[in-house]
Amino acid sequence: MSTTLQPYLKAVRQTLTAAICVENFSSQVVERHNKPEVEVRTSKELLLTPVTISRNDKEKVLIEGSINSLRISIAIKQADEIEKILCHKFMRFMMMRAENFIILRRKPVEGYDISFLVTNFHTEQMFKHKLVDFIIHFMEEIDKEISEMKLAVNSRARISAEEFLKRF
Amino acid sequence: MILLEINNRIIEEALTLKFNNAAAGNKPEALDITIADFDGVLYHISNPGGDKTKVQVSISLKFYKDLQEHGADQLIKREYGSFLTTPESGYNVSIVFDLEHLPANRDEVVKKAGLLKRNCFASVFEKYFEFQQREENSQKRAVIHYRDDETMYVEAKKDRVTVIFSTVFKDDDDIVIGKVFMQEFKEGRRQYQQAPQVLFSHKEPPMELQNTNAKVGDNIGYITFVLFPRHTSPAARDNTINLIHTLRDYLHYHIKCSKAYIHSRMRAKTTDFLKVLNRARPEPKNVEKKTFSGKTFKMN
Repeated sequence: MSTTLQPYLKAVRQTLTAAICVENFSSQVVERHNKPEVEVRTSKELLLTPVTISRNDKEKVLIEGSINSLRISIAIKQADEIEKILCHKFMRFMMMRAENFIILRRKPVEGYDISFLVTNFHTEQMFKHKLVDFIIHFMEEIDKEISEMKLAVNSRARISAEEFLKRF
Repeated sequence: MILLEINNRIIEEALTLKFNNAAAGNKPEALDITIADFDGVLYHISNPGGDKTKVQVSISLKFYKDLQEHGADQLIKREYGSFLTTPESGYNVSIVFDLEHLPANRDEVVKKAGLLKRNCFASVFEKYFEFQQREENSQKRAVIHYRDDETMYVEAKKDRVTVIFSTVFKDDDDIVIGKVFMQEFKEGRRQYQQAPQVLFSHKEPPMELQNTNAKVGDNIGYITFVLFPRHTSPAARDNTINLIHTLRDYLHYHIKCSKAYIHSRMRAKTTDFLKVLNRARPEPKNVEKKTFSGKTFKMN
């Protein structure tokens, strides 16, 4: 199963590197406004074809590009109930701190667990290749973290049950 | 600490302080402490009638009526006989200690006072353990509403005593974590043969409670303990009561600890991510430039 991880991340990295070429573009619809076109979606000619990279039907990444912005949505593997609530808690925790995270979106896109929005202003202030590095690092670490938290809950359950029952 | 303490440490410490004070011959001081314990139980330590040489400990349990039905009064009298007094208004049981005539076995008395809550509960269990030891079926099931939405049922048969706790999970996530815990409890028997059998039922009451109007709901769980003769025998009885009566609090305490631990992990991971993200920012270039005539100015 993990043999598909490296090609998966490689594909995501290369698509991101290509899609993150964004430039400043003021709004065509409203004077003097500058909006991320991938969110507004008013003009079809400014949007690029969205690309979905799937590792399996549960894990996938949707990359939607446009002329001045890029939206990345990630669906994280959640095998059972406890992983689902841990993932949900973690994502909610981070999305509440979206201002600190700069490129994080406050709500995930429908059907996905977390979304990022990168605009030309971000790429002007930060290195593009490092932003891509961050997204890939994020995807790797999330899975690890959720498994570790699940392990912690399971071991706590086992130890507390053991302590209680062995006293009888 | 993994296991919860069954005695109330605050009572023990307050009483030890007062007793030691009196033993050393110091003048007694006024005392008025109100303490809360699990399951909505309140204690009040005070000087009755303003008399500083006497210390009164009162306990109030919202469900004392349920316990009285099963002989709580007799058990309290048995344990605290000489110290019992008329209950303070608003409280169910009061015991009073005279600081001028301290009992000889001070520490033991203090320990007993700390176990007030446990002794109130103990009466129900002892009664049903007796039924089982005499190999009778209990005619009635004991129903104790020890918390607002939660109830405990005790029933005795010839070869076992069944204790059923109904518990409410206020949060949906709690249900999932609770299920993980209950799964481990169920499998405890594989490792420890002496443990009682534990069953868990989510949303619906277990078979034993069918046809009673026990609550049904998405966030309600029923935990069943099947105690065998080796747990209800006079030798093991006290230990069993000690462990069982705080089970619901034990479970919820550990669920909350897990959530707190998860929270601190999330916080650590988020700062980690932020550090990686900030690597994407180029370092601000602070360039100092000089003009021909020697003036320096900084560029940001």
